[in-house]
Amino acid sequence: MDRYRDFSLGEFVWDKSFRNWVLNPTREDDETWQNWLAANPDKSEMVDRARQLVLSIRPNNASLGNPEKRKAVERIVERLEARNLDRAEDTHAPWYAGSMVRIAAMVVLLAGFSWIFWLRHEQPEIIGYDQLVAAANGEMRETTNTTAQPLTISLEDGSHVTLDPGSKMSYPPHFNGVRREVFLSGKAFFDIAKDPSRPFFVYANELVTKVLGTSFTVRSFANEQEVSVAVKTGKVAVFSREDTDATEKQSSRELTGVVIEPNQQVVFVRKSVKITKSLVPEPEVVAEAGAAPHFEFDEAPVSAVFSALQNAYGIDIIYDRNVMDECPITATLTEMSLYEKLDLICKAVGASYKSIDGRIVVEGKGCRNN
Amino acid sequence: MKAFTRPELRLAHYLEEEQKLWREMLAGDVTAYEHLINRTYDLLFHYGTKFNSDRELIKDCIQDVFLGIWEKRDALNPDIPPKPYLLASLRRRLHRLASRLRMDCMDYYNESDIVFDLEFGVEYELIESENDRLLASRMTEMLNELPKRQKEAVFLRFYNDMEREEIALVMDIQPQSVSNLLQEAFKFIKSHWKAIVSLFLALPF
Repeated sequence: MDRYRDFSLGEFVWDKSFRNWVLNPTREDDETWQNWLAANPDKSEMVDRARQLVLSIRPNNASLGNPEKRKAVERIVERLEARNLDRAEDTHAPWYAGSMVRIAAMVVLLAGFSWIFWLRHEQPEIIGYDQLVAAANGEMRETTNTTAQPLTISLEDGSHVTLDPGSKMSYPPHFNGVRREVFLSGKAFFDIAKDPSRPFFVYANELVTKVLGTSFTVRSFANEQEVSVAVKTGKVAVFSREDTDATEKQSSRELTGVVIEPNQQVVFVRKSVKITKSLVPEPEVVAEAGAAPHFEFDEAPVSAVFSALQNAYGIDIIYDRNVMDECPITATLTEMSLYEKLDLICKAVGASYKSIDGRIVVEGKGCRNN
Repeated sequence: MKAFTRPELRLAHYLEEEQKLWREMLAGDVTAYEHLINRTYDLLFHYGTKFNSDRELIKDCIQDVFLGIWEKRDALNPDIPPKPYLLASLRRRLHRLASRLRMDCMDYYNESDIVFDLEFGVEYELIESENDRLLASRMTEMLNELPKRQKEAVFLRFYNDMEREEIALVMDIQPQSVSNLLQEAFKFIKSHWKAIVSLFLALPF
């Protein structure tokens, strides 16, 4: 450390070891520098000034919030999983490896192309709104939102549907029989009147959503790769039209299929024909109006904090009660998003969390030793 | 001399962890892959936004970089340092994108359009003395006046703790050229520093 005796302010500012100590200190660095300062008290003022300069002069970086980063990282991993799935499907079919098979396939393909060229109007590749509506029985009414504002439609049964601009819905003027069925293209928010004897169905491209009485959003644009359903209140069941048990699931009085609850969503990736369940990007408090939840904790066990969040957001939080209960929390979490709250709590108790299958899983070593 | 070995040891440990994640990722471990992304995302994002201010574009490019390394993980060297490799891939991708746009627009562009555009700033509330605030503002002006490539080298070396060889990999130049860039930057900083400091005669240098 002797060379630092003759350092000028500028030399301190641009010395890598010095900067490391200031910007990313470790206990060892700190000890070394504190000792050096104790031995060279005349340098402490200069070191202090250099320290302030290092800390204050920074590149102007575009801010990147934690939720934004998390979303971006999750998106990469999701894409990766979708790709792996595609590949897994490819490798399941090793028979086309032989060259004779390939040549035969070429011939068939060429023949097929010319066939399709003649018949191309007959063969829709994916299920779309038009095919669904054409296949529906009985009289249908269609409403298209050509305005720039959301448009609310009232249905005969007392349900309300709010269509986003550019979206359309087909529905019968009267609901006959044991089902209420509508067809959607685009994005809409559904607030469905409760009637367990007549379940409500939304058909949106490949996805079918079945509800008894609840509110939720469906997003299904013809030109988008994904179809999604997100729940605000109540429960809905979602299944793919391709599902072999679809008819059974539709006729059942129970909600079967992928059941989603408030703040959860289902995304159907059209290319890989895969349904995944996850949390909506910005979970909202779902607790009953009037009972605005309090998120102020004073030395509360972490289990109390998690159960308050679980009640407020209606999202399962899974953690090891035996391990984590030792960790007391003092925090005010009122003005924060769910993810910010979780970040803070996990930081406080040295844990980490993941969103898996529409639930939050917290992992940590606990605080018994502290 | 303990102080000089220790920070390097610490750094070595940190890099080892990164290298471990890289190796596990190349072996097909998705958890390691996610860790690695989490760990390097901020750096990549901040570096990327210096070339292009479109956040969504940068995020898309980072995504392509990561999906790309997964795709060709069998062919990648487990011993190359991940951080510089990722930064270099992002840099190449942004350059390719810019040259493609250039072709589409059929306009006349040149290499200097794809530049590292970084501004330094000062957080004045961290500085106690009025004199030092002035000093910081002059220093920042000086940093901002550095030629772009010197600025990029300074950014990687002093604000992201990278070594000469790593910077060479990222900027796709010889290590010697990195040294030259840094030396020129410091010659410039030192000469101006003296001029700045001479304005504050009261300050001991």
